[in-house]
Amino acid sequence: MKSKLYASIAAIALTAGGAHAQDLIFAPGADDRFNWASFEEFAAAHDFAGQTITIAGPWLQPDAGFLRNVMAYFEAATGATVSYSGSDSFEQDIVIAVGAGSPPDIAVFPQPGLAADMAARGALTPLGEESAEWMVENYAAGQSWVDLGTFPSPDGDPTYYGFFFKVDVKSLVWYSPDQFDEQGYDIPATMEELKALSDQIVADGGTPWCIGIGSEAATGWPATDWVEDMMLRLHDPEVYDDWVTNDVKFDDPRVIEAIEMYGTFARNEDWVHGGVQAVATTDFRDSPSGLFTFPPQCYMHKQASFIPAFFPEGSEYGIDYDFFYFPAFEEKDLGAPVLGAGTQFTITRDSDAAHGLIAFLKTPIAHEIWMAQSGFLTPHQSVNLETFADDAQRAMNEILLEATTFRFDASDIMPGEIGAGAFWTGMVDYTTGADASGVAEAIQRRWDSIR
Amino acid sequence: MSPVVQGIITIFVGVGGCVAYFYLSNIVLDKVIFPARGPNPGRNINRANMVRPWLFLFPAMFALGLYLAYPVVGSFIRSLYNRAGTEFIWFGNYIDLMAEPTFRQAVFNNFLWLLFVPAAATFFGLLAAQLTDRLSWGNIAKSLIFMPMAISFVGAALIWKFVYANNADIGLLNAIRDALGAERPIDVVQIPFWNNFFLMFILVWIQTGFAMVILSAALRGIPEETIEAAIIDGASPFQVFFRIKVPQIMGTIVVVWTTITILVLKVFDIVYTMTGGNFGTHILPSYMMSFMFRDDGRATAVAFVIMIIVTPVMVWNIIQARKEMR
Amino acid sequence: MDNIAGRKSGLSWAVNISVFAMVVLWLIPTVGLLVSSFRDNQQITATGWWLAPMPVDFSFRTRALPDNMEEIDGVYVISGNVFADPAQARWFPDGAGTLSAFGTRGAAPGEYAPGEVVEVVTRGQVIGALTVGAEGDYELRHDEPFARPVTFYFEARTPPRFTLENYNTVLRADGMDRAFINTLTVAIPATVIPILIAAFAAYALAWMDFPGRGLLIAAVVGLLVVPLQLALVPLLTLHQRVGIGQSFLGIWLAHTGFGLPLAIYLLRNYMVGLPRDIIESAKVDGATDFQVFVKIVLPLSFPALASFAIFQFLWTWNDLLVAKVFLPSGSDSQVMTVKIADDLLGSRGGDWEILATAAFVSIAVPLLVFFTMQRYLVRGLLAGSVK
Repeated sequence: MKSKLYASIAAIALTAGGAHAQDLIFAPGADDRFNWASFEEFAAAHDFAGQTITIAGPWLQPDAGFLRNVMAYFEAATGATVSYSGSDSFEQDIVIAVGAGSPPDIAVFPQPGLAADMAARGALTPLGEESAEWMVENYAAGQSWVDLGTFPSPDGDPTYYGFFFKVDVKSLVWYSPDQFDEQGYDIPATMEELKALSDQIVADGGTPWCIGIGSEAATGWPATDWVEDMMLRLHDPEVYDDWVTNDVKFDDPRVIEAIEMYGTFARNEDWVHGGVQAVATTDFRDSPSGLFTFPPQCYMHKQASFIPAFFPEGSEYGIDYDFFYFPAFEEKDLGAPVLGAGTQFTITRDSDAAHGLIAFLKTPIAHEIWMAQSGFLTPHQSVNLETFADDAQRAMNEILLEATTFRFDASDIMPGEIGAGAFWTGMVDYTTGADASGVAEAIQRRWDSIR
Repeated sequence: MSPVVQGIITIFVGVGGCVAYFYLSNIVLDKVIFPARGPNPGRNINRANMVRPWLFLFPAMFALGLYLAYPVVGSFIRSLYNRAGTEFIWFGNYIDLMAEPTFRQAVFNNFLWLLFVPAAATFFGLLAAQLTDRLSWGNIAKSLIFMPMAISFVGAALIWKFVYANNADIGLLNAIRDALGAERPIDVVQIPFWNNFFLMFILVWIQTGFAMVILSAALRGIPEETIEAAIIDGASPFQVFFRIKVPQIMGTIVVVWTTITILVLKVFDIVYTMTGGNFGTHILPSYMMSFMFRDDGRATAVAFVIMIIVTPVMVWNIIQARKEMR
Repeated sequence: MDNIAGRKSGLSWAVNISVFAMVVLWLIPTVGLLVSSFRDNQQITATGWWLAPMPVDFSFRTRALPDNMEEIDGVYVISGNVFADPAQARWFPDGAGTLSAFGTRGAAPGEYAPGEVVEVVTRGQVIGALTVGAEGDYELRHDEPFARPVTFYFEARTPPRFTLENYNTVLRADGMDRAFINTLTVAIPATVIPILIAAFAAYALAWMDFPGRGLLIAAVVGLLVVPLQLALVPLLTLHQRVGIGQSFLGIWLAHTGFGLPLAIYLLRNYMVGLPRDIIESAKVDGATDFQVFVKIVLPLSFPALASFAIFQFLWTWNDLLVAKVFLPSGSDSQVMTVKIADDLLGSRGGDWEILATAAFVSIAVPLLVFFTMQRYLVRGLLAGSVK
């Protein structure tokens, strides 16, 4: 899938802050929830006065503003100037920029697969052993984050390139608590219950789901999240891992089963708002709006933690919307698997200041400033969870912590042609009526033809 | 405001540099290398005049060679290499493409576009040109039909989303169906095969104005006497149009037709923004974008296939141009 | 005689009507966009733009808050007016309105007629008795105190609302002013430079005699059809090697290269048609080619120059692909089309009113240029294509 990293609506009021990045949104030393000691320690040890660092990444407003607010502290600490620019087609832009020899200093990759490509071309600078060791010690499940940021260098040696900063949880279902209360619906704890609830809603004359997989040139990616979540709920995590590396082929019956499980939701005329045809062309950003109409066009919407940014203006967590964990099958006994994604900072133009910026991301304060704004989860173990801006994030962090299995978005790790190409278009074909095994075979054929 | 100043300075440097080249190079030629004085002024003037055409032509030839001629060769060579450009694989990329059903679909669609868009745009253009010919408000009508020419392809795609949207409260087409009693909206970009025509119509909408303007001038250029003679002979307006006017402007019709044909092979934006190539609507330029900068070998192979398809048009154009010059 | 005149006027009616129909057909999509860009963001999805001047029926949700609870004779009562709810202030600024129905469940927001007394049920529990009048006054009664806000719904008609908010959002988006200037920085040199270069080349091809002229003309005509896509990959590599990379210089050169064949072709065709005797007599008088070109040919070719300038300006202004490839993606150098496609549509892609406004902002300047300079465009086009 294509990671779209956005934050919740609550902090949209803060976005004006992006224009005045120099202003620190929380005065240093004032609020003792924050780890100001780490800020002062970092400031004392680093000085890049007069230097400019450019960062390119996928974040648009409001996240771009949040990042600028975090970077303001780096600027205050070191005297450097940071300039961030985000693009909706970051994946293309970074490849072109590297090809043209004019990359930014730091690139923020949402897709490890693409970062691996860049590393193989020699476009990334290794972060060094000590950074990897730091992450093993300080991040929850640190080794797995290091592994996700380690790619073969141009010589083929596995090297640590990507520093994860900001994590998203994908296995979430959004709903309106008012509607659930009025209709007397309970939060389903198992996939069986979720399906029963969907049937119940239809029986009551409603439509259970809003699904929209439209996203201009990236149309289809929300469907890949569905399939990945289904993979984790139907089969062992090892099968998922082998699928990502193509040791389990795309047209394996187990993968086809997952695609068809997605189809039981998206290809059921009665279950989706607007009917099956609407799924393929409804924009994913437009899709959740059905939760907020009266009568509701749908009761549930499955999407990652960034989606509240696209809810109607003024929607409040806990009153207008809430979420529950996309449950697992009781009969499969696979625990509570969670699908997630994240962004990694890489150095695309080597300099002391760039390494300094990565070092800044290790300080708890860098995490806490974003946590206190919105839409930011982190596996950093020394941060103060009190700094989270709202209960929604704390609840998401809980889902992350309660996960018995955590897996990174498969399509982000697969080669670009598949994870950001054939898999997307294949899902569009399937959604609009193509046969699952035919679609899977076509994707596998495409995978085979990558040389 | 510093960006404004910066912008103005860059504009001056860019444009000024260009003016300076022509001005200074001519001065250097006339005053320094072959001055029209000294022992042999006459010979120097002649020599200067032999060099001058190349002085005039050099920047154009350089830019054309670098930006259009070299890429044809460069792309072809690149298309023979693998994904990373490290290994020579002969026609491997082309063979892989032939095996790809999406590629065959794109080629098929592309031929549909090549047949339908120029034909429809020329037809509507000719119709508009003839109908507005003697109309009192013809000029206003013409400029309104011509207007879409100014709109970017991306803008046009957005405009037409408000016509095609799968929602009777946003899409005009579905609203009309709704008013006629249709039960639920349909998504026209998802109707197999015919969706291509809905996308093509956007380009027809843009290009009709171009065809109309040129054909209307051609119609005006027909000598009055021939038309009057036909009317006196009792020809109906339709006969006059089809038997007298159309044959006389046939040459212009063909020029319009080929110009639009060339354009069709360059437009990727409409498909890219409307459907992203899904639902079987890929054409070669949009199909190429899915490989662009990811697998340059495959991307350049697709580009070269486009080149092969336009080659007949190119040859025909050159032959026409040479005929005209004689 | 009468007969023929009658037929004639009938035909002219038919012509007038069909031209009118065609103009309407061609204009409607753009008008729809323009109207939509001024509409309120909630009304835009509720009714089509063709119904924009009509009022829109909406369902609203409101809450009765326990803070306003009173105890009257052992019964707890919350009363108030639904139109006074600040959440509805946008539609009912003076706090008054008329509702057509109300309901206690979101699934049926218009279940009851005004004035009815109905039970409010949540999860099978009766939590109160509600009545709402047509003026919006409501009363909620229960024999136990209310612990939580009670949600209910009503339907009311809202007046059509037109707004400049959308333009405000789009134009004040971070960096839009910068993008506008960047677009000009790209478009102006990318229009002027190819004209200059092409004018000299066209003059040489039209009026100077030298070996290989015919071949060069044929080459220009041939290059007219080379697809742009072919050039992107090899040229980016080339730019990197010579050190231009992604920059304004790079995009000027690229636009110049891509625009030249048409420029040379149009201008040469026009210049060839200039009267031969003026040019030759000037030469006989001792003028050099440079002087002939600057003093005579250039002024006479104004229509063709203007026409190509408009063409090239529209093309560079509207271009997305070349800008994405040859300009750095950072916000210092983003042009408007890239800004709209990569930033605005990405963060606001689900909002129809933002899509409409962004599209209209991006086509406003080209439309202005088009309508003011249309005459020249047509004149020069004709010179190039009609022989």
